[in-house]
Amino acid sequence: MPAGYPHQNSVVFMLETDICGLRLENPTILASGILGNVGSSLRRVARAGAGAVVTKSIGKQAREGYKNPTVIKIEQGYLNAIGLANPGVDDFGEEIKTAKEGGVPVIGSIFGFSVREFVSVAGKMEDHGVDALELNLSCPNVGKAGAFFSTTEELTYEVVKAVKDSVSIPVIAKLTANTGDIVAIAKACERAGCDAVTAINTLKAMKIDIVAGMPVLGNKIGGLSGPCIKPVAVASVYEIVKETGLPVIGCGGVTTGEDAVEFLMAGARAVQIGVGVADRGIGIFRKVAGEIEEFMKDHGYRSLEELIGAAQG
Amino acid sequence: MTDGVYTVKIKDIVKETKNIKTFRLDLDLPALPGQYIMLWVPGYDEKPLSISYPGRDMGVTVLRKGATTARLHDMKRGDILGVRGPFGRAFKITGERLIAVGGGVGMAPIAPLAEKAIEMGREITVIIGAVTKSELLFVDRLERAGAEIIITTDDGTCGMKCFTTHALEKELEKGRYDECFTCGPEIMMYKVLEIAKRHGLPTQVSMERYFKCGIGICGACVMDDGGLRVCKEGPNFRDVEIEKFKDFGKYTRDASGKKVYW
Ligand SMILES: Cc1cc2nc3c(=O)[nH]c(=O)nc-3n(C[C@H](O)[C@H](O)[C@H](O)COP(=O)(O)O)c2cc1C
Ligand code: FES
Repeated sequence: MPAGYPHQNSVVFMLETDICGLRLENPTILASGILGNVGSSLRRVARAGAGAVVTKSIGKQAREGYKNPTVIKIEQGYLNAIGLANPGVDDFGEEIKTAKEGGVPVIGSIFGFSVREFVSVAGKMEDHGVDALELNLSCPNVGKAGAFFSTTEELTYEVVKAVKDSVSIPVIAKLTANTGDIVAIAKACERAGCDAVTAINTLKAMKIDIVAGMPVLGNKIGGLSGPCIKPVAVASVYEIVKETGLPVIGCGGVTTGEDAVEFLMAGARAVQIGVGVADRGIGIFRKVAGEIEEFMKDHGYRSLEELIGAAQG
Repeated sequence: MTDGVYTVKIKDIVKETKNIKTFRLDLDLPALPGQYIMLWVPGYDEKPLSISYPGRDMGVTVLRKGATTARLHDMKRGDILGVRGPFGRAFKITGERLIAVGGGVGMAPIAPLAEKAIEMGREITVIIGAVTKSELLFVDRLERAGAEIIITTDDGTCGMKCFTTHALEKELEKGRYDECFTCGPEIMMYKVLEIAKRHGLPTQVSMERYFKCGIGICGACVMDDGGLRVCKEGPNFRDVEIEKFKDFGKYTRDASGKKVYW
């Protein structure tokens, strides 16, 4: 337990959670793509109080991604178009090793442009020592006319099944709400033997600067994060929990303990925090954990289990 | 003003040297010496740039070196640029008799630092280094401000024919300084730090890394081993922080996050 943790003993007890076999001291997890491409940075976030950390989405080869601007603030949120920039899986072992010194579970986020690529990167990440995998399915399957894995049940099933069959660590699928029916996609994950899902990834979005007369992001189109996507994310979590037996990690717009409680009440077993780091700093994990605990005490909840799914009725 | 991208017109352009121009924008941006903005050149790219003129008609001073800065150099008064910021931790002046070392366009944050120091009633000596006389930056500006100036050029066309670090070594032997600042090529700053340390001088270094977000979330700019973010906890670091960096003077990271050794 790091020094200076608020309400020392009780926090550990009250806020403990588990998700697909991973034990978390508190339910806050660093979301993929946030400070996750360098081991020393992941370790720093772990030591700052995150219950677990997810790496940047790692692929087969190094990618520089899109040109800047890659991240901009807009009303009620942030837009990003990083373009899957990452140093490539082969060189990432050293970073994972450093990240693990943080003492919390390290979840390796991966992507691929084909099922084979996913499987190959998954195996290497497992060898690097990650505690679980998170599949970033929001990327195009180049072989199948560029359809996103995350938007069709067949592709989702195929890739989740292939990765599940090839590794022995838990596999989490990260889903997008940019699809006709996120519940159907979650069910495909469940059929494929997926251990948990994260909901949701960013929502497709654009910002046009009217003085310059053009989109601001280098890639023009990007993904929306932050408080403005929270209601969409909460609804996704609620429906997936209701319709499947999968453990769910909520993601999208968690900035305060109250936001986290909303996700937990919808049925999430943990929450991920992304751009909240920009608004409240790296200390956000400890702050949110403390705020969840405070809420629980004020409202008579004795354990996280009592809170999880409380709004499902 | 840190929220979102702020599009403004270029108000004035000053050609400082053959390859360096200052762009004054139609924007009042209060900032401290050493802070930076993310400058969007619409349709091209966005780059972190030290603020060389804080406040009214905020300015940045830019070396032409790639496609984006070439485009910027070709722009005219009245053209549109986007600004995010100011961001980052400024230089902090605590000494009474300061020395600053600026290499090339690294003078951009050193000039407002010197002006501020003089305004605060401190003494400052600035070592201005460049490859050749015509590339020296802000000599007149700092003379006007009342700084003591030492010039070095690699080819000896002006001032001392040596590197800034040699001039620093000589100057520190006089033993009259109590704080050091530097901005320029990393290898130069590495040596400046070494020399200043040997003379027991606390030093602040203006670090440069590849930036994407500028707001401390993407992780592109983090330094090993503590995971400090150049865009957020920096770009100006103190010697005690820098001594813990494994990468300073050794490697940087490219846009993919891969290590690139100097
Ligand atoms: C700069 C940035 C980079 C991101 N990179 C990734 C990524 O590589 N893989 C991924 O699955 N999600 C990525 N995301 C999405 C986040 O993990 C998260 O799903 C999203 O930001 C919503 O959560 P938030 O509102 O808490 O930020 C990224 C988000 C941002 C802002
Ligand atoms: S540039 Fe994104 S964290 Fe520093």
